[in-house]
Amino acid sequence: MAPTPKSIKLAAGGNTLAVEWADGHVSRYPYQYLRSRCPCATCAGNARLPNAPVPGALPIFGVKPLAPARAELVGRYAVQIFWNDGHASGIYSFDYLRGLCPCDECAARTGK
Amino acid sequence: MPDNPNSLIPQVRYTIAVASGKGGVGKSTVAANLAVALHATGAAVGLMDTDVYGPSVPTLMGGNTAPHVIEGKIDPPVEFGIKIISMAYFLPKDEAIIWRGPMLHKTVRQFLGDVRWGELDYLVMDLPPGTGDIQLSLSQTILLTGAVIVSTPQDLALAVASKAIAMFRKLNVPILGIVENMSTFICPHCGEREDIFGHGGARQAAEEIAVPFLGEIPLNTAVRLASDSGRPIALDKNSPNGKAFREVAEALVEQVRLLSEQSAQGVKIQ
Repeated sequence: MAPTPKSIKLAAGGNTLAVEWADGHVSRYPYQYLRSRCPCATCAGNARLPNAPVPGALPIFGVKPLAPARAELVGRYAVQIFWNDGHASGIYSFDYLRGLCPCDECAARTGK
Repeated sequence: MPDNPNSLIPQVRYTIAVASGKGGVGKSTVAANLAVALHATGAAVGLMDTDVYGPSVPTLMGGNTAPHVIEGKIDPPVEFGIKIISMAYFLPKDEAIIWRGPMLHKTVRQFLGDVRWGELDYLVMDLPPGTGDIQLSLSQTILLTGAVIVSTPQDLALAVASKAIAMFRKLNVPILGIVENMSTFICPHCGEREDIFGHGGARQAAEEIAVPFLGEIPLNTAVRLASDSGRPIALDKNSPNGKAFREVAEALVEQVRLLSEQSAQGVKIQ
């Protein structure tokens, strides 16, 4: 079975989203880090194209700092994040999300 | 896109997907008979035919009642005490559905949210073959209790069944068990046993991949006759196949019970 979260905290302070996993591990994801790794077809597909636009790269008047507005579970395996700029097509599977954990321990293991 | 888990069917206790990967192994027959056998235990049961392209549940369950649409909600026909929904009800016999994915997704959502299921203990879902749009939509839209995998004993079918299992594992949907369908055939004339598609392959596969084995359904002309006449064999509890289906249903109920004890999955989002 893939890793499962116990709780997901959208505003865990310092512009991070925190996930507490069933095995006790806690992952903290900076918003920009998480958003730039959005797995949706638009983001993940474009990332492989040259000169692809970076989401949120162009500042617009009155733009709010990037943050997740809300999140919903997708079945038993994933969470969908609705960003405050309207982007919401990214479905982050728990497996993928755990693999993204930027903590030193996980980064050392995955070599990322 | 997904709502809060199970908000579409808040009154349904357990949702069970009957899947196989491969076509023609008897998913619909197993789904219909499991629904009947579960109902025989006293449970309130619904049967949802999610095979939009090749719906066969209404043939298996008989009856000519069309669903009524009242105030935008569908009243499902009830056969043998089981509430049923199927695309077949909305389509003339010789018409075909030729749709791409997004329409399938919408249909799945409608079959869940726009049907008056009422309070159900079990909603049995007959899935189409494969690991595609319908399977993904279902797994994303609701918290499936689990999946029952149907396979014939032969390697060809088992190899494809393992793809379905891999899909459900990836989607975190528990595998409630494997059913071996079209198992041993006993000749009605001479009584000789013939393993047309082999025998025991599914049991062995279940052991190898560590999932429960729910039972064997013998290959028997009586099943085909009962299915074509719209009266599932599980209604006849004294027939060998009726008995086999009831045993599989009992094993399934036990797996559901075990699972609901150990997994209280509620991810809190704050």
